[in-house]
Parts: sequence; C-alpha cells; structure tokens
Amino acid sequence: MHIELTMAWRNIWRNPRRSILTILAIAFACLLLVFMLSFQFGSYADMIRFSLNIHTGHLQIKAEGYQKNREIRKVISDPAAVAERLEDRPDIRDYTFRSNAFSLLSSEKRTYGSMITGIVPDREARLTTIEAVIRKGDYLATGDTNQVIIGDLLAENLRVDVGDELVLLGQARDGSVAASMLAVAGIFSSGQEEMDRSVAMITRDTFDRLYFMRGAVHEIVAVCPSLADVKPAVTGLKETLSGLDMRYPLKVWTWQELIPGLLQGIKIDLISGVIFYLIMIIVVAFSILNTFLMAVFERTREFGVLLALGVSHARLTHLLMLESSFICLVGMAAGIAGGAALTLYFQHTGIHIAGAAEILRFYGLPEALRPQLSWLSLLLGPAVVFVVTFLTALYPAWRVRRFKPVEAMHAT
Amino acid sequence: MKRMLFLTLCLMLIPSLSFAAERSAESIIGDALDQMRGMTSRSTNTMTIHRPDWERVMTIEGYTRDREYSIFWVLSPPRDEGNGTLKRGNEMWTYNPKVNRVIKLPPSMMAQSWMGSDFSNDDLAKSDTIVEDYTHRLTDVTTVDGKKVYIIDSPAKPEAPVIWGRLRFEIREDNVLLKEEFFDEDGALVKIMEALEIKTMGGRVLASTLKVYKTDAPDEYTLLVVDAVTFDLALPSNLFTRSALKNPPR
Repeated sequence: MHIELTMAWRNIWRNPRRSILTILAIAFACLLLVFMLSFQFGSYADMIRFSLNIHTGHLQIKAEGYQKNREIRKVISDPAAVAERLEDRPDIRDYTFRSNAFSLLSSEKRTYGSMITGIVPDREARLTTIEAVIRKGDYLATGDTNQVIIGDLLAENLRVDVGDELVLLGQARDGSVAASMLAVAGIFSSGQEEMDRSVAMITRDTFDRLYFMRGAVHEIVAVCPSLADVKPAVTGLKETLSGLDMRYPLKVWTWQELIPGLLQGIKIDLISGVIFYLIMIIVVAFSILNTFLMAVFERTREFGVLLALGVSHARLTHLLMLESSFICLVGMAAGIAGGAALTLYFQHTGIHIAGAAEILRFYGLPEALRPQLSWLSLLLGPAVVFVVTFLTALYPAWRVRRFKPVEAMHAT
Repeated sequence: MKRMLFLTLCLMLIPSLSFAAERSAESIIGDALDQMRGMTSRSTNTMTIHRPDWERVMTIEGYTRDREYSIFWVLSPPRDEGNGTLKRGNEMWTYNPKVNRVIKLPPSMMAQSWMGSDFSNDDLAKSDTIVEDYTHRLTDVTTVDGKKVYIIDSPAKPEAPVIWGRLRFEIREDNVLLKEEFFDEDGALVKIMEALEIKTMGGRVLASTLKVYKTDAPDEYTLLVVDAVTFDLALPSNLFTRSALKNPPR
C-alpha cells in the first residue's frame, strides 16, 4: 500500500504542468462553488430579512379564523396577557400590536378602499423599517390622535399630500360606523406595491377609539433573535398560549405560512443556480476526463512493462485511481481554502455595487451585499465536484484493465 | 246592437286571454321586484345582524322610486343615527353625520358588506338591473299552499357587470319573491335569501321578513323585517340626491 501511495504521488509530478492545470481546474470550480453558494445563501438571508422587516415580522399571533377573512370581530381580546408571556421568553426579541380594518379613505375628490392599520409607533419602528421608509412628512408619534401615514401609491391615487385631510369611513368592532377626519402626517414607500397601494396607518389608540376595539387587537407581531429561533419559539408559544382564556382561541403563524411566496421565489432562484453549477461541473469533468485519458494513453508502454513484470490489472487500476484522487483532493483543498478566504474577505468588507447603495438604503436595506459562509456552502459544491471527478476517473482506469502486456509495450 | 255586444265581449276577453297565456320569466321577475317597491315607497325596517357570539339590531328608514332610486337612513342605534345610503342606478353614496361628508363608494368597496350585514353593496346597487343582466328561463311550476310557484333559472349574461354566475328564483303567482339563490361563476351555491313571513302591508302582499345567509356559515345571518310600508305616495322630487342624504325628511 505504501509503495502505491508513493508511486501515485511521484507519477503526478512526472508531468507537473499538466497536473497543476488539472488541479487548478478543480480548485477553480470548488472556489467558485463555495463563493457563489455562500453569496446566494447570503443574499437569500438578506432577502428574507428584508421582506420580513417591512411588515411581517418572524411570527404573528392572531385569533383563530382571523387570517382568512379578516373580520374585525375576531380579536385578541386580552393582548396584555399575551405580551406578558412573550416578555418571559428569551427566544422572542421584541413584539408589537396591530389592528386592521378595511375602510374607505376619501379625499376632496377621490375615494379608495384602504387597509387601515393601528400601530404602536415606537414598537413598530423597532420591529420594521416603516420609520426609515417615510419619504415625506413625519412618522407617527405616540399620542397622535388624528394623524395618518399612507403609502405613496395610495397618496397618488387619492391626490393628497402631507397636511391634507382625509375622511375615514368604516365599520367598527360592534358593527357601528367608524368615521373620522384624519390629517396626512407622512407618506411612506416600502417597495412592496400592495402595501404602498392600500395601507394607511394610525396609532393603536386612535384605532381603538374609532373602531371601538375596547383594548383588543388583531395581531401581535414578534421577531426572534435569529431566523433559526422561529421554529422552536412557535412550538413553545403554541403551548404557552393555549392556557390563556380568550374570547377566540389564538393561533400562531410563522413567516413561511404568512408569505409562502417568499420561499417559493427563493426556491426558483436556487434551482436556476443549481442548473448553472451543474453545467459548470460537467465542463470541469470533461477537462479532467481529457487529462486522465491522455495520462493513460501516454503511458501505455509503461503500463505494458509493469504488467509484464507481474503487476496485476487490479493493482494498476488502484494506482490510477489513487493518482486521480490525489489530484482531486489537492485541487479541492486549494479550492476550499481559496473559496473560504475569498468569501470571508467579502463577508467582512461586503460587496459594494456602484450606484446600488442609494437604492438599497432607500428601502432600508444594508448597503453592501455580504456572502455568508456556512458548512453547507463550504462543503456542498466541493463534495459534488469530488463525486463527479471520481466517476470521471473510473473510465480511464477501466480502460487499463483491457491492456495486454505485449501489445501495450509495442504501442507507440 | 248585436255587433256592439260582440265587440265588448271581445274586448273583455283580451286581458283574460293574455293572462291565461304563460307569463314570461322576465315579466315574472320584473313584477316581483315592482311588487316590493311600487312606483314609490316609504318603509321602516328592522335589520338584525346575527353572529353566533354577537347580534346587532338596527332600524332603517327607506324611500324608493321606480327600480332605480333608493335612499336609506339609520334611525337607531343612536351611535349610528343619521348614517345614510343613496342609490341611483348602479352608483352608491354613503353619508356620515360625524364627518358631514357624502362619499361615493368606489368599485373596490362594492363587494364589501352593506352596514355590516350579509347584503353586499353590490346586492343593492345591481338589484334594479337583474332583469337585464341575466337571461331568465322558467324551469318549473310547483304548487305551494294552493298557489302556483314559478321557479326561474337565471344565468348571468356573459358581458353583464355582475358578480354572480347564476341566480335562481322562486316566485309565487301573486308576485311574492319566496327565495333567491346566488351562485358563483363555478356554479356553487354561495348565498340564499328567503322569505320567512308573508303579509299584506300597505295594500300589497309581500315578504315582510327576509333572511339572508351564506351557505358556508348558516349560523350567521341577517334578518330584514318590514315594520311599516306605504306605497305609491308622493315624494319630493329632490329626495334622491346627495344633498337630501345630509338632511333626512322628518
């Protein structure tokens, strides 16, 4: 065994240029895969964080049945009791209350149906990007009584600007008419069209008064320290909250259930990425196959001599497989090391795309894109490369098994 | 003289002859709609919105003219007194005394419920064009309590701006609408309106209690009871206008 290892290692360096080129091809494929996968996973994490930070949060607690029809009656009757349970949990970083009602908003000239949301301004600002995406005027302040902030598309549709008056007309929790004059305090643009087109926010206290909520809310939105904490937190919350005595039983929703489209979008992007990587790996595999085949045919006479000296076909195959494994492992090690170094560098400094910083900041996104190195992104690509290279190397090794000593020695 | 007598006889026979011929489905529906409204009408109604854990009772005063115009005001509960709805053809306006503004309902609100009931704004707005928006076919005639009941199947016309795919009516021979069923575009039964009580009021036979409910939640319903009604009275010509909405007649 020892002698085979030594022979294989020496054989590789008999033609250093070709071996180094092969190693580089493998190293480059690995490096690229490590970096690209890290970059992709990093941008997915950013995408999820960004989408959830706009409005959704990591999880939401609602009354059973509220999610489907958003009936104003289906309330969380005692939000303080839920908040108390949330305070106790280390896997909940922060939370806020919201109430919603589909109502009419009417300016001097125009009227649109709108989703009126009652928020707690300071809590909402800690959880979401809403304060950062106010484009004109001011964010809501605690204690505001008739101020409203509306999406820019809604403002455009209603033909209103900061300071203008709007009439709100809707239906309160008890079925009576909710009506009030509101002053536009600010206009936001979140980048999510549906929200910018239909949402208007007032303070929770104003909402409570107008819609006769008597202290109840519709949603409690919470965030965990990290996305990985969401699942255990939801499981734990379901148990804790089931003990509460509420008018309607409570239901906990994860962000995946609230915006299923987000994960689907990511999956589609990932699949197109995977197709690209497969094509790249196939190209690399062919170049390696070429190298290995050349190595075998070039050394036909040498193999003939070895066979004539009594080396078995099995041992010869073994030797060739060792050679290709060495090349492959050295390439992979170099690729992983290089890929990790490159990824860590950009993870540290971030990738600044010229001109994009302003747009990113506009929507409350971090200004630099950062790849995210993980065990998965580090090892997944190289593992696939190893398997493919190994399979490729089988073919020349298998060809050697058909060599006959005398014929091989006579080969030119 | 003999000739005169014959002519008179002929003239007398004509109306009964036309009555004997089967009435068209359109005219049955049209007559049933007109029976509830008359040329003009004034009514007080009690609307009860029932939910398993909640109930709300409102009294509403309403005026109508032809099939096109109607105007309603809420009389009680006190919190909502003076809230009004005006319908002119397919358009609707709503008025709230607190903000003192008349607001035209945008298309996006038409599918929303009217005053929190199981009636949608569309049910009211599109009620006068039922005859034109659907094709009507008399499918069956049954007899209930010795009176003929016409069963009419009405698929929506392809180009009609309506939300229902098909309607089905049960109308008694004296023009009382017993039941109306609303089907969606896939042909599934969504909503049912039925007469629970039939009375003679204001000189007409009509459904004095109507119940509306969705088939997927039969324990949630709206009851509309006609407390008093007068037909064919003289109404001021400016009653069905936006300015009238702000000033209910007292």
